[in-house]
Amino acid sequence: MKRANRLITILIFIFLYIPMAVLIVASFNTGKDIAHFESFTWNRYIELFQDDGLLNLLANSLIVAVLSTSIATVFGTVAAVGIHNLKPRMRKIAMTLTNIPMTNPDIVTGVSLSLLFVFVGTRMLGQRDSLTFWTLLIAHITFSLPYVVLNVMPKLHQMDNSLVDAAMDLGCTPMQSFFKVTIHEIMPGIVTGAIMAFTMSLDDFVISYFVSGLDFTTLPVEIYSYTKKPIQPKVYAMFTLMFLLIFLLMVISNLLQLGGEQRKTRSRGAASERSAGRIVKIAVAGAAALAIVVGCAIFIGNNGAEPPVVSEYTMTELPAGPEESVTINVYNWGQYIADGSDDSLDIIAAFEEAYPNIKVNYSTYDSNEIMYSKLANGGITVDVIIPSDYMIARLISENMLLELNFDNIPNYQYIDETFRNTSFDPENKYSVPYTWGTVGIIYNSKYVDEADVTGWELLWNEKYTDKILMFGNSRDAFGITQYMLGYDVNTTDEGELTECAQYLMEQKPVLQQYVMDEIFGIMQNEEAWIAPYYAGDYLTMAEENPALSFYLPEHQGFNLFIDSICIPSCAKEKEAAELFINFLCDPKISAANMEWVCYSTPISEAKQFLDPEVAESEISYPAAEKLIKASSYAFLNPETTRTVEAMFMEVRNSR
Amino acid sequence: MKKNNSVLLSTPYLIWMVAFTLIPLCVVGFYALTDPATGKFTFDNLKNLDAYLPVFWQSVAYSVVSAFICLLMGYPVAYFIAHQKPVAQKFLYMLVMLPMCMSFLLRTLAWVGLLQDTGIINTFLGRLGIGPISMIRTPGAVVLGMVYNYLPYMILPLYSTLVKIDHRLVEAAEDLGCNGAKVFSKVIFPLSLPGIVTGITMVFVPAVSTFYISQKLGGTETVLIGDVIERQFKQGNNPNLGAALSLVLMLLVFVCTGIMNRFAGDDEEGGVIV
Amino acid sequence: MSKELIRLQNLTMEFDGERILDGINLYINDHEFLTLLGPSGCGKSTTLRIIGGFLTPTDGNVLFDGERINDVPAYRRQINTVFQRYALFPHLDVYDNIAFGLRVAKVPKDEIHERVTRMLEVVSLRGYENRKINALSGGQQQRVAIARALVNEPKVLLLDEPLGALDLRLRKDMQNELKRIQQATGITFIYVTHDQEEALSMSDTIVVMNKGRIQQIGKPEDIYNEPKNAFVADFIGESNILDGVMLSDYRVRFFGKTFPCVDKGFEPSEPVDVVIRPEDIDIVPPAEGSLTGTVASVTFKGLNYDIIVEVKGFKWLIQTTDFHPVGAVIGIRLNPEDIHIMHKSEYSGQFGDYSSYSAEYDELTEDAGDEEE
Repeated sequence: MKRANRLITILIFIFLYIPMAVLIVASFNTGKDIAHFESFTWNRYIELFQDDGLLNLLANSLIVAVLSTSIATVFGTVAAVGIHNLKPRMRKIAMTLTNIPMTNPDIVTGVSLSLLFVFVGTRMLGQRDSLTFWTLLIAHITFSLPYVVLNVMPKLHQMDNSLVDAAMDLGCTPMQSFFKVTIHEIMPGIVTGAIMAFTMSLDDFVISYFVSGLDFTTLPVEIYSYTKKPIQPKVYAMFTLMFLLIFLLMVISNLLQLGGEQRKTRSRGAASERSAGRIVKIAVAGAAALAIVVGCAIFIGNNGAEPPVVSEYTMTELPAGPEESVTINVYNWGQYIADGSDDSLDIIAAFEEAYPNIKVNYSTYDSNEIMYSKLANGGITVDVIIPSDYMIARLISENMLLELNFDNIPNYQYIDETFRNTSFDPENKYSVPYTWGTVGIIYNSKYVDEADVTGWELLWNEKYTDKILMFGNSRDAFGITQYMLGYDVNTTDEGELTECAQYLMEQKPVLQQYVMDEIFGIMQNEEAWIAPYYAGDYLTMAEENPALSFYLPEHQGFNLFIDSICIPSCAKEKEAAELFINFLCDPKISAANMEWVCYSTPISEAKQFLDPEVAESEISYPAAEKLIKASSYAFLNPETTRTVEAMFMEVRNSR
Repeated sequence: MKKNNSVLLSTPYLIWMVAFTLIPLCVVGFYALTDPATGKFTFDNLKNLDAYLPVFWQSVAYSVVSAFICLLMGYPVAYFIAHQKPVAQKFLYMLVMLPMCMSFLLRTLAWVGLLQDTGIINTFLGRLGIGPISMIRTPGAVVLGMVYNYLPYMILPLYSTLVKIDHRLVEAAEDLGCNGAKVFSKVIFPLSLPGIVTGITMVFVPAVSTFYISQKLGGTETVLIGDVIERQFKQGNNPNLGAALSLVLMLLVFVCTGIMNRFAGDDEEGGVIV
Repeated sequence: MSKELIRLQNLTMEFDGERILDGINLYINDHEFLTLLGPSGCGKSTTLRIIGGFLTPTDGNVLFDGERINDVPAYRRQINTVFQRYALFPHLDVYDNIAFGLRVAKVPKDEIHERVTRMLEVVSLRGYENRKINALSGGQQQRVAIARALVNEPKVLLLDEPLGALDLRLRKDMQNELKRIQQATGITFIYVTHDQEEALSMSDTIVVMNKGRIQQIGKPEDIYNEPKNAFVADFIGESNILDGVMLSDYRVRFFGKTFPCVDKGFEPSEPVDVVIRPEDIDIVPPAEGSLTGTVASVTFKGLNYDIIVEVKGFKWLIQTTDFHPVGAVIGIRLNPEDIHIMHKSEYSGQFGDYSSYSAEYDELTEDAGDEEE
């Protein structure tokens, strides 16, 4: 019995620790795939310390955790003392209130707080960005408070009330007796509560995910968006360092407590108070150690990154920037701007170098619909977005875009005629084309029989059950079905749409999963074999896995999209945003950007700076005869849009 | 402290909690009862929920199974830890705590790397000439993800109650004729019931509302209520339906935890705080 | 005497290399009330726990009805225990606690009800069936613990300091109660205590233990009147212990004088310990006493006075009903039957001198006893 128990315990500890071991090993892997170890390297750690973004996020998380914990600890302790002395009926009410966030699922707490902030901030006060650092802090304080209260209350119950009487008898005011007596008696509860609040806050993902805006997020929220993109291995390096740090802190605090206990047996008095003090000291020491590590890291990082020399990278003369420093929020697709990896130019760093007074706060989405939801839900400020054609039309129709001032965007002149006067922005008032491309089928030629590659129906082929991926957004998913069935992609016919939904429902059993940017890793490591996606992203994937091929169903039709840069109506820094747009339209910058993004540039002038192989590529710049059946998505009326969205939700949510 | 001071001390807290827990829930209610397009009062969001009944059931089923497995796995571990020497207890307790402090997103992602068809386990099996066995994107993988993530939430309260059980009660039961199994069923188990209830609640609540685990480890069929809510807010742009779903989820959780607490008997208030 | 039930043969117990029990040999008869008496740490509880089956001895045998039961687990022994601080199950009420053992033994329901009800009567707890354990007073809990053990009709009942947590009044009542129950049921009681009065008043046989060894086994009167060594003499009641020399049978010499006594069988001129109980000493006018001394202090004790008398540098404790002021010179008379002679032992010289006597002394030793285990 006992031996069996020991064995089970060992096995369960292995179970708990294996995934962490996997992540730690991955941090030393030269390859990007977590499942295949190629060779050993320290480079991930160097990359980590050169990545300001990641370290800033860590700092954000620490700031929120430290602030919310301190406030919740003081506030909660005072409240607990008050509640303790309330009449039983009031006390019961107070405890019920305290228990609500404890029992409520995180997702409900997150949803309710975000709705509250948006409702009050945006609808009632008319604020544009009601989801800020402060709302995040309020949310963290709110879910931290119960931990403090619930840990302090029992200590107050246990405390001998005559202690306070004794203190007052000896001349203490109620205030003094609290600080001289009560606080020492309840210190262990305060410390436990504070530690729990701190870990909860530092680790919270769900509530922060719903409550945070774009300009201030915490590490877990950003890690979530990392796990939707092909994840960068430096994240594993950060995990490993955090693991070591927490492990060390825990071991040290254990050892100290042990030492404390041995002393306790010798002198019993005041030991608990001393050990509480010790825990505080450990916590402070830990925070200090963390701060030092982060500090060093930022220092190393700042020294490590080579600032790009702007003049070398731009072709055009840039207009002057603002006098005062501003921050613009850029909200873009994932994997959609060169970030300095793989010897590319870090576009944002280059822009910040060119305009020292403009700081770019960059975040990503992985579908037009997610971006739209984020804007429509309100509560955030965004200065630059890059939606696709049909979404631009929708945003214009709903008054969600600002007209651009082309005086600030002289580089607009380089945009090809073909990409002006588009159906979605006929007067060229709201958008500046960023990229264009086609949607086709990516398949792995190792596993997929060429004979099966006949058209969109490949995505329904039962032969490849569980190896097929599908678009996780409604417009592309419906579009593919419509091309396959020969319907107009811009139809508003409810019968046709219902039929499409039927087909999508039928597709579900053969699908592996719905994806957006997760697709990169899945196709590269051959977890799936067939997927519809954007041509530019195919090129990125093919660099990693040459077995991948691209197929354009010319005979059935396919989507030709234009993604354009816009300024949404919730923008605060319009002029700086226009400078950013102008910067992106510099032919040389566009070329450098497209080299990495692999999408097609709407600026012919840029092609001269491109690798000739890319510039000549059939996939990036298909011949005109291939594009006969290509079509663009137009904006459907709001009602149809909602119907399509609801139908797609139903497809995905049914089981 | 004087009595009127207590009102002074507790009122700001009460105001805060009303403002940031009760009122937000009212706002959720407000959204749940308005139409997404027109903003007018409607019951449609709630009426349409019966379409999501299967999803609710699936979520409850997965999380109940997970909680039960966590109990089966966690009990021996908690029991083992509670019967070690104090130094070993502290160390093992720490080892259970540690995973809870690490990013659960990344730890779940590691399971993707382990379980997928081209993952670590299948690569290893492939070398042995077996497989690939499809493990990921099955209901089992989702349950595994839940068990893995929430097992510590089960072990810690169980340990807290087990370690408090007076060893002399075990001796007393032996003295009165109980063998090992009977000591367990008649004394240890009933005495650890509060810990079991806390543990099950602490596993059930996050499991029933998760969306990340099912997104990463589940297939197209394993849709949980958390997924649906997240998608309504983040992509579907239908916060009203999302709010209605959240409201029902909250009621579901309150009813379930209420039943659990009744089951444990509420002789001591509060139960176990880890 | 009735037949032998339990025998401990050469029992030895070691924890982490420390010897807790060192060669315990003891037999216990059926229907006997036997008390293990000794200061804290003497090994009495360990002995009890070995009999109960909660510890396995390092060496030696435990025989029950002539059979070796070292490896028989607690739950298969016909022995039940009343635990120190009771160990009642907090999740069960009074009735269920008492019925616990019967239910485990799968006794029919009717019979359980009958036996539990009878037992509640025995411990006078009728009407408390559905009380929660936490809602009972210390004395009530005590009685539930006894009922829970007795209802199983064990051959032997082990009681580990069962009255330690009760106040003095309740303790006295329960002593009588226990004795009554033992006589009524005829069950063998093995009782552990550090309280000598409790031991003397309840037991048929007392086993005095110290440092893991048995010091003396005997009836209460024998232990009190004929202590085997200075430890027993001091631990059981108060004693003046003097160095003496046994001149021959019935003649002992101390303080330079020869006294007649009732002991014999010692070597000629053997150095011995002489024990004289404080209450046996007669105070007489100085001229009539065989020894004379000066009163150094007087303490009023209610029934009597405790007088410390200095005789040639040795301080005697004398209990008397007559008052003698400090400084008075008094005579001491010793009758032959009041002089008890013991062989010298490892304890000689450690006890029996009241030069540092104080009233708190007794209380301190009792406190120390409470902390055992």
